Amino acid sequence: MTATIETFAGRRPHVQPRRVGTGAVLRWELRKLAHQWRAKAVLLAALVGPIPVVFVIHGQSRPPKDSLFGRFATENGFALALLILGFAAQWALPLLTSIVAGDIFASEDQHGTWKTVLTRSTSRGRIFWAKTLTAALFAVVTLAVLAASTIASSVLIVGRQPLTGLSGQQIAPSHALALVTASWASMLPGMLAFTCLAILISVWSRNPAAGIAAPAVIGMVMQLVGALGGVEPIRPFLLSTGFEAWHGLLTAPRFTQPILEGAVTSAGWCVVTLAIAYLTLRRRDITGG
Amino acid sequence: MTEALAVDAQGVTKTYGSLRAVDDITIRVAPGEVYGVLGPNGAGKTTFLRMLFGLIRPDSGTIRIFGNTWQDAGVGALAGVAGFIESPRFYPYLTGRQNLEGLALLDGGTTPGRIDEVLAMVDLSDRADRKVGGYSYGMKQRLGVAASLLRDPRLLVLDEPANGLDPAGIRDMRALVKRLAASGLTVLLSSHHMDEVEEICDNVTIMRRGSVAFHGTIAELRAMAPDPGHALRTSNDTAAVRLAENHGVRVEIDDAEGGLTVTGPQQAVSAYVAALVAAGIELRALTPTQTPLEALFFMLTDDETGRMEPQDLDEMEAAG
Ligand SMILES: Nc1ncnc2c1ncn2[C@@H]1O[C@H](COP(=O)(O)OP(=O)(O)OP(=O)(O)O)[C@@H](O)[C@H]1O
Ligand SMILES: [Mg+2]
Repeated sequence: MTATIETFAGRRPHVQPRRVGTGAVLRWELRKLAHQWRAKAVLLAALVGPIPVVFVIHGQSRPPKDSLFGRFATENGFALALLILGFAAQWALPLLTSIVAGDIFASEDQHGTWKTVLTRSTSRGRIFWAKTLTAALFAVVTLAVLAASTIASSVLIVGRQPLTGLSGQQIAPSHALALVTASWASMLPGMLAFTCLAILISVWSRNPAAGIAAPAVIGMVMQLVGALGGVEPIRPFLLSTGFEAWHGLLTAPRFTQPILEGAVTSAGWCVVTLAIAYLTLRRRDITGG
Repeated sequence: MTEALAVDAQGVTKTYGSLRAVDDITIRVAPGEVYGVLGPNGAGKTTFLRMLFGLIRPDSGTIRIFGNTWQDAGVGALAGVAGFIESPRFYPYLTGRQNLEGLALLDGGTTPGRIDEVLAMVDLSDRADRKVGGYSYGMKQRLGVAASLLRDPRLLVLDEPANGLDPAGIRDMRALVKRLAASGLTVLLSSHHMDEVEEICDNVTIMRRGSVAFHGTIAELRAMAPDPGHALRTSNDTAAVRLAENHGVRVEIDDAEGGLTVTGPQQAVSAYVAALVAAGIELRALTPTQTPLEALFFMLTDDETGRMEPQDLDEMEAAG
């Protein structure tokens, strides 16, 4: 600390005191994400993970008949991509998105950096929305990479055979590709809802481990509850219900109502969880760090 | 119109459960002042500074920073303010430079070269491209100063900036704060070291368990201070005690440390020492113990459970 200090009094500041928009904060959040190994690990896993899974299932002598599309999965690329989709929806999608969304707020507590960022020129609200947007973008990219990798490796390794639908109808390969892609895309609202849930747990618990693990556990519990009898009144509110809505795309005739209902349920979860998370963060006393 | 106060905190209170961490504090810092908030552990210094930065909300009272309040201006109340609370924290997986770049982004950007400039000011230029996770405590502290200077503040708020630094680090940190203050920056600094505040600050508020125990200039504080104390070692302590009676100093046997303690105005102590030598008593050591301001600080901030007051010592001695 021996360097000279120029006179501060009367000097024109380099930084004009003004409020900084969400865009600048978003750039900062994305830059931090790019430096975190776990974000890179998730994307890498989404990219290469499906390849060995496809090889292993393709090599089975007895197909997994009990699972949806399992009967044809060893010899039909589209069926295999849908089998993997059913499996991913159970816990992989909630977990993958939570690895970033469940950590993005709690890591500021972990590193004690709330005080560092909140004493600059950005409001808590802007930081909240920038982090939320970052987590949502990450969820979209992760789902896209996982879907593309699964479909591509299934089709390339197992092949483009005509697909037998859930009503026993035959679906031509070109049409099957569109339906499989749409099925994967229909996971997005639910995945975003789990992202928002992870954000809430991250804000509320201030603990990255809880933020990452809890959404995956909640996802499995919903799956379990949904499988029980006598839960008709609550079934529409479960995120797991929306994760099964793609079945309607593969029946004849096709029905898309469950996908819309699932999207509405997911939107509801997003609004409620984000509202609670936002208010919690706004009101919170930052005493740590 | 007079310039707004840099900090104008009125009747600020913050309670945690039944604990009044900050209890009806009023602190006013004029532009250009170097202001110290002094207090022992748990006095409420950090709690007050967190409220200033809007990190926690006061239960009652108002805080104006250059005339703005958090209620009216939101984060705009921090325009022209920078600093850090407790030890500065950064993202360990980013380098020092990347951390500063990010913080600059949250301030609306900075001019090229400015980051190099502030890194040079705190002597971190050669470590700027290493990950902060590998920084020493002192380096993080300096990066905290750099991050604050990046905002070109008019008011610099530092919460125990020398805490945890080695002696050289403390010296450098104090020198830096003094240079910044000399350049016209308003500084609000918390500390639990009287010597630090005495060295750096013009004005001081001494806090004790959430409340103000003293408020005034360093000169006023000095005027209130008790006589300086010294530890004395002689060849004949009994004779030395007897000789003290007509020299206007108080000399007592120090049971804990051995030897004697001498309390009195500086001139009287000098005259007494001369008399000792004249009486043929050998002087083996004379060392100042607490500075007067330190003694005053302890008197102002002592709890029932804390150190004993001087009269307690007298009573004990009288009892045997
Ligand atoms: N989040 C909290 N919850 C409960 N009590 C708290 C909290 N933060 C501070 N306190 C209490 O408030 C009082 C003031 O604490 P504060 O940290 O402001 O003191 P300080 O003067 O900064 O002390 P130090 O010199 O140790 O930094 C202490 O008794 C402390 O235990
Ligand atoms: Mg403190």
